[in-house]
Amino acid sequence: MSSRLFPPPACSSPAEAAAWTRRRAWAGNLRALVGRAYPRVRGLNREPSWILFEILLPFLTTSAFVFVYRALQAPPEFVGFAVLGGAMTAFWLNVVWMMAAQLYWEKDQGNLELYFSAPMDMMSVLLGMAVGGLVMSSFRAAAVLVVATLVYGVAYSVEQWLLLVAVFVLTLAALYGLGMVLASLFLMWGREAWHLTQLLTEPVYFVSGLNFPVGRLGLIGALAVATIPLAVGLDAMRQLTFSGTDIAFDTPPPEIEALILVGMTVVFTLLARWSLRALETRARREGRLTVRWR
Amino acid sequence: MSEPGAPSSPGSPGVGGALDPARVRGDPGETWRAFATATRLGWQMEANWTDPFLFFVYSVAKPIASVLILVAMLEIIGGSATREYRGYVVVGSALWSFVMAGIAGLAWSILDDRERYRMLKYVVVSPSRLSVVLMGRGVARVAVGAMGAVITLAFGIVLLGVSFDLARVDWPLVALSMLLGLTGIVAVGLILAAVIMQTRQEAWSYPEAVAGALFLVSGAVFPLAVLPDPVELVGLVTPLPWWIEGVRRALLPDSVSGIGGQGSLWTGLTGTPAPEPIQVLVALFVTGVVSTLAAAIIFRAGTRRASSLGLFDRTTGS
Repeated sequence: MSSRLFPPPACSSPAEAAAWTRRRAWAGNLRALVGRAYPRVRGLNREPSWILFEILLPFLTTSAFVFVYRALQAPPEFVGFAVLGGAMTAFWLNVVWMMAAQLYWEKDQGNLELYFSAPMDMMSVLLGMAVGGLVMSSFRAAAVLVVATLVYGVAYSVEQWLLLVAVFVLTLAALYGLGMVLASLFLMWGREAWHLTQLLTEPVYFVSGLNFPVGRLGLIGALAVATIPLAVGLDAMRQLTFSGTDIAFDTPPPEIEALILVGMTVVFTLLARWSLRALETRARREGRLTVRWR
Repeated sequence: MSEPGAPSSPGSPGVGGALDPARVRGDPGETWRAFATATRLGWQMEANWTDPFLFFVYSVAKPIASVLILVAMLEIIGGSATREYRGYVVVGSALWSFVMAGIAGLAWSILDDRERYRMLKYVVVSPSRLSVVLMGRGVARVAVGAMGAVITLAFGIVLLGVSFDLARVDWPLVALSMLLGLTGIVAVGLILAAVIMQTRQEAWSYPEAVAGALFLVSGAVFPLAVLPDPVELVGLVTPLPWWIEGVRRALLPDSVSGIGGQGSLWTGLTGTPAPEPIQVLVALFVTGVVSTLAAAIIFRAGTRRASSLGLFDRTTGS
């Protein structure tokens, strides 16, 4: 499909084929991006089981936390906090399972050496994964948000729509940037990668304040806001979607948190680029990274 | 010796002498050997990837973080109910480690062997029963889950101030509830394993999704009475709420009931505030038997479908 969108130029000689212009390199990377995103998007049609497992069941998980708050007779805003947190877990899980651990699994499947030997930037492959994964995650997040909002009667109060959209986009950018960094780290750590995916779920949910304002965690919350995109993005979105609430967030205003997200996006993207280059160099030099099941 | 080129069967002298009865399916010794080997293999796969300290940290981080999320929610809301609920959520969260490990263990074994190590097809054609091998592999993960549960309980008692009196623990109730409850968990795990056989590689996250959904109807972290009646009923026909109730009542006799209480189906139907321990055990036994029978039927049907469609040999990716 991607070759139809970006057809490779016809070459009359091997020398001409090897001389890549900047435009041709970009076109190749775009083809790689679309090609890597394609199976994720197309796969959604081929096996509908994800609708049950990725949309309906996560809604029930979010509901469990809603009922914890109901059992405690918490203010209604907290139900909204849990719903927003439940929606954002879709993106975090996608980053951890389908970005961070993906290169390790590609190695196990024998695809990694093909990626390294193909004339493209690894960033385009990871970006393709992100774009493809975003489709499914967005469905899941939207479903959890809409259904839970309707079922549990969550009332939002948004005054700064533009900032809310900007924070959401920046949160995704920072999250997937972090996912790219983690992808190369997981690849180097081998079998530990699998266990790291476990370590990066509930512990990160806790320090990110998935179901409650992260500022209530004190120093741990402050550290999370400074380092984890999920924590800072979720907190900024809560402040923006419940703008009239009396509940204290104890964190910087959303404008500052948006700037933190900009910083995270830049840092994680540069770090991902550097770590992937380092990884590629190591892969070519040692040939060890293509050894499977380690 | 058979003639060179003559057709041979497993029982023919041409492939190693007389038929070894231990290799016939259904032999108890062979079944036990397959189970023990799978358990050992599962433990090696779970534990040999790092040093024991790091393994310990990884194993307990998830359950402790889960309980901390709930304790933070209780503390932020405050009020008189929070102290009462703290022991409730600590025990529920600790027990949930078993559910996660039991359900995910069996399902992930299918995905591990099919997608990563590509050994599932060989396990299926070997004389060992797939269900026995899976249960053996699952035991290793349940052992890791048990470690997480014990540490979470200890964490709750020592650091979160959950009042716990060793002398008041009803040990027979703990033992019976655990035995019956783990049987029910394995049954749910087998059902999910049968489903996972039919799905693609992305099913890695499915066990967590199923466990998360069961979390809603299990009464692990809040009493079922707060749920709408039909949803509460769904929970009561599974073994999980009865198992958690049994263990919780045994460990914390003064704890809030997860099944009874004002507004609950139980209290509405029976007029009693909470089920007696014997009633909990009977309900756990009945729901466990039904789950196990359902698991046997679904697992067999899933295995047959996977065999006929060639799904054991399929690898996917996206």
